[in-house]
Formats: sequence, C-alpha cells, structure tokens
Amino acid sequence: MQHNQRRATNKQMTLAEAVSRFVFDGATLTFGGFIGRDCVAVVHEIVRQGKKDLTVIDDSKTDITDILVGAGLLKKWEGAYFGYGALGLAPNFRRSIEQGIPYRVEVEDWTNAAISMRFLAAALNLPFMPTRSMLGSDILKYNQKVKVIQDPFEGQPLALVPAARPDVAFIHVQRADITGNGQIWGFTGSDENKVRAAKRVVLTCEEIVPPEEIKRQANLTAIPFYCVDAVVHVPFGCHPQSCYGYYAYDVLFCGQYHEMAKTREGFLAWLDTYVYGCRDHQEYCAKVGWDRLFALQHLERQFNRLPA
Amino acid sequence: MEKELPYVPGQMMALMTAKELKDGEIVFVGIGLTLMAGIVAQMLHAPNLTIVYESGCIGPRKWRVDFNVGDSSAADGATALTSEWRVFGDLQAAFYDVGVLGAAQVDKYGNINSTAIFGEGDYYHPQVRLPGSGGGNDIGSSVGRTVIMMKMQKKRFLPRVDYITTPGYLDGTPQARQKAGLVGGGPVAVVTDKAVFRFDPQTHEMYLDTLYPGITVDEIKSYVNWDLKTAPQIKTAPLPTKEELAALKRADPGNLVLGREEARRQIRDIHQYVAMTLAGRYHGL
Repeated sequence: MQHNQRRATNKQMTLAEAVSRFVFDGATLTFGGFIGRDCVAVVHEIVRQGKKDLTVIDDSKTDITDILVGAGLLKKWEGAYFGYGALGLAPNFRRSIEQGIPYRVEVEDWTNAAISMRFLAAALNLPFMPTRSMLGSDILKYNQKVKVIQDPFEGQPLALVPAARPDVAFIHVQRADITGNGQIWGFTGSDENKVRAAKRVVLTCEEIVPPEEIKRQANLTAIPFYCVDAVVHVPFGCHPQSCYGYYAYDVLFCGQYHEMAKTREGFLAWLDTYVYGCRDHQEYCAKVGWDRLFALQHLERQFNRLPA
Repeated sequence: MEKELPYVPGQMMALMTAKELKDGEIVFVGIGLTLMAGIVAQMLHAPNLTIVYESGCIGPRKWRVDFNVGDSSAADGATALTSEWRVFGDLQAAFYDVGVLGAAQVDKYGNINSTAIFGEGDYYHPQVRLPGSGGGNDIGSSVGRTVIMMKMQKKRFLPRVDYITTPGYLDGTPQARQKAGLVGGGPVAVVTDKAVFRFDPQTHEMYLDTLYPGITVDEIKSYVNWDLKTAPQIKTAPLPTKEELAALKRADPGNLVLGREEARRQIRDIHQYVAMTLAGRYHGL
C-alpha cells in the first residue's frame, strides 16, 4: 500500500471540477449517508458529465442509484438495499432487472452489516473481516465473494467478507474546512470507514468553516483532512433527501419522482427537467424553488439544530 | 352498547405487532409499518421501549414519521447517534432483544424473501426485483427474537421461499440455526392483516395462532400454500380500542405511511406538509 501523501492544503474546488478530475469511465464509487445526507447533487453532476460503466459499492441507497441506472451509467451494483424507502420499490432498478430496460444492471447482493465490514476491513488495511451475518441464507449461494470458514479459535462457522476499496468516495457533511476536515451531525452511517477505504475522497458540505471552528467541537470530526482530496461547497446538496440540522426530507418531491419514474418516458422527462435541464446545482435549487428549500430548512430546525 | 370501531387492516397489523414488544426492551426496527409498531407500543404499553435504527440511531422519541432509516427525522430526540457498524456490532453482540422485519414472501419455517420474486424466471431474471436485505438479514441472523410483518396475499406463504434473504429456522431440522452459526433466536411470530402465526417449539413449523374479528380459518388457509396447522384453541384478537386507534393515528398523522400516493396527493404543497408536521410536533395532533 502506497504511503498517504495528502496534506492540510487548500482543496476547495467546484463540483464540476471534482467530478471531472476524480471520476473516470469504469470507476468504482461509494456515497456517504444512509438514505439521508445523500450525495444527490454529486450524482446529478456525474449524470451531466456522462461518466459511464460505473460500479457502486454501498449499503443502502435510493434515488441516487436509481437515477444512475435510469441514465444508463451504472454497470454493477454491489449493495444491500436498493429500494425507495417507505414509498416503495426503486422504479428504474426494477425496470432494469425485470425487463432489461435500458439494459440489465449486474447485481451482487449483500447485507448492510456485511458492507459496513467490507469498508471497515479496507479502513484497517486488512484483506477481510468476519461476520455472523448471511450464514444459512441464499446470499451465500449467489455471492461468490463471501467465504464461510470454521473459526480457527472456537470452531464456529463465520462468513468472511473482502475489503472494499472504491476508486472514489463522495461524502456530504454539514461542515468542513478547506483542508478537508469534515464534521458530521446525526448518525454517521459508514462514512468514517468509507473515506479511509476509498483511493480518492471528495467532501461536499453545507458550510465551509474556518479551522478554529472545527477545533471547537473536535469530537465531530469523523473525517480528518489526510483522507480527503477535494472540498466542495454544495448547500442543499442532499435535496430531496434530508441533511440533519439543515433540512428535512422532501417526501412530496420524492413521491413525484417515484410516480413519474414508473414509466421510462416519465423518468426521462424528469431527468430532462431536473438534471440535464440544469447547468449546475444552483440552477437545480432555483428550479426546485428556494422557498421550498427554506420551508424544509425551517421544518428541520424545529427538530434538530446544530449547537451555536 | 358500543359500536364496533372501524380500522384499516394495516393499522391492525401495526397494533398486533406492537403487542409483541414489551416495556423496557430494545427493538431494532425498519421503516414504515415496522416503525409504526414501535411508536405505537411506546404510546400504549411500553413507554420504556428503546428503538434502534441501522443508520446508527439509538433511542429516538418520535413526533414525525420516517420514510427512510437515515432521514434526519430518525434521529429526533435520540439518546445516542453513532455509526452503522457500531449498531450492527451491538446487534451481533446480543444487546438487542427483538427485531421487526417486513417481508414479501415467508415460508413454513419462517425464512424470509425480500430480494426477488422469481415467478417463471430466476434470481437473475425475476418477475419482481425487491430492494434486497438491507439490514434484514443481519437483524434476523443475530437479534434475540424476530417478529415478521406482512400482508396476507396469494403466493406469499410458501413451503419454501424463492430466495432466503433472512434465515428463519432454515429447513426446520433441530438446531439448524446453531449449526449454520447463527447467534439470534429466530422468528416468534408472523403478524399479518388478518391473523397472527407462531412457531412450534419442536418442529419450528408455523401455525395459525390468532384470528382477527370476522376472519375464518378457511379464509386463512386459502392464502397458505402448505397444509397449515392450527393452535388447539385458536384465539380471536380483540377489536382495537379507542386509545389504540388514537395512538395509531398519532403515529402517522398525515396517513402518509398507510395511505401512500393517495394521502400524498391530498397535500397541497410543501408548506402545508411543513405545517402539518409541526402541528404533530407541538400539539401531538
């Protein structure tokens, strides 16, 4: 393993720059958050730049991976959950697997705990981690990467899962400084391990703050600068998903997507409006409507507010 | 004499699941109805029930419905906010008493399929591709005991599921779970919109335990694709009380979980949605 060269330098850049510099055709990606604090703006930019033949290794995702499938860019999904939460199933994913439209995405089924162990293994620079999940299930039958062994110490069956080392991890955080120290409020999913597992890491954030501000609450720095390659300021970068302390989930927007995407034509119309029809994330926000975004911000702050 | 109270089947399913959860326990839930069951249990008989979400949230107090386990709303009033692998570690280390899981297919030994309904096809070419395990397999593998929630539909109660996403008692043979290396206890109940099923401690086979008012054994058997056994004395569940119905309504104020698209269409715009959610926050409406 090559010794890490990343230092505390100014890593700020635009979203278009970060995607074009780090994502290549055929790249393996992972995204932070856990259906909540998702990298939605990032995925829209990937779609606009047409980066293709992508593999995503992830625990649970909804709209961002559904958009990648519908846009024809996701070659393979190695993950645990690909649905649409309480709204139902993922329309593009279903159409892809059931009807081969626009093509059939390759699927490798995992569980959330197993995927989190794969990132932990890579973060620890270990080849694998053991888990007691998946034993006896059909996941083992179809997923050849899982190895069941007898524990050499106690003799019990254990499932071994290989380290996951994506080419790029995109993580959206509430606050970061320009060197890449990222702070997360709310639960953290597998983000602290994803940034240590991936070869390149792009942080997007609601706010860029001075390093002194980071040091005031150093417990919250899940991501230290030495894991990070780029820092991008993307307020409302998770919409329509939630961002703890900043804005609530937009169930009506997701509901509209979910209904439109039930047909291929409906999805393509949605994609034209909200992705291809927007030059950047600013234009997306304007199209969604700032009053709508501020209403979601207001709602969130009645429940969860970052300490001053 | 009091008139019979109307209820929708989904509500009864959440309520009967809530009754499986005991005060003081720690419950691992998912989204939608499984969460509603947890919230309703807290309101009715289990105020000290601790809810855990796989996103890394421990002990939330709920005033609004979550649509995803990672919504910021999942963290409302939480006792601890941590990471995914930490709560799955706590699950594997036997800290959690009970898990509530949804399913698309279940078989006579309580194995669950939430990955793909094969139909005429197979795993690679299924009739319906479902979301996959998520944390379902992890919960069903390691939690103390599991309660399964699913609607009664044809071709969903099978001798063998198309794909075992989450292990129940596997092939039903003695010690099958232990031999596979599983540390959790396995399923204790399947709660549906018409009846509750339990598992024989010796054979691990699912049997009919409780019918909801107005449902017959024959109707239940028509949904089940094996020779279903029944309890010697089949119980009948009581109709929900006024308090229970009120709790169910408070757990899903806009009826957005049960009412889905139709309920969402009733909401004019985001501002109405925000006002509605905040009314629940401050007034418990």
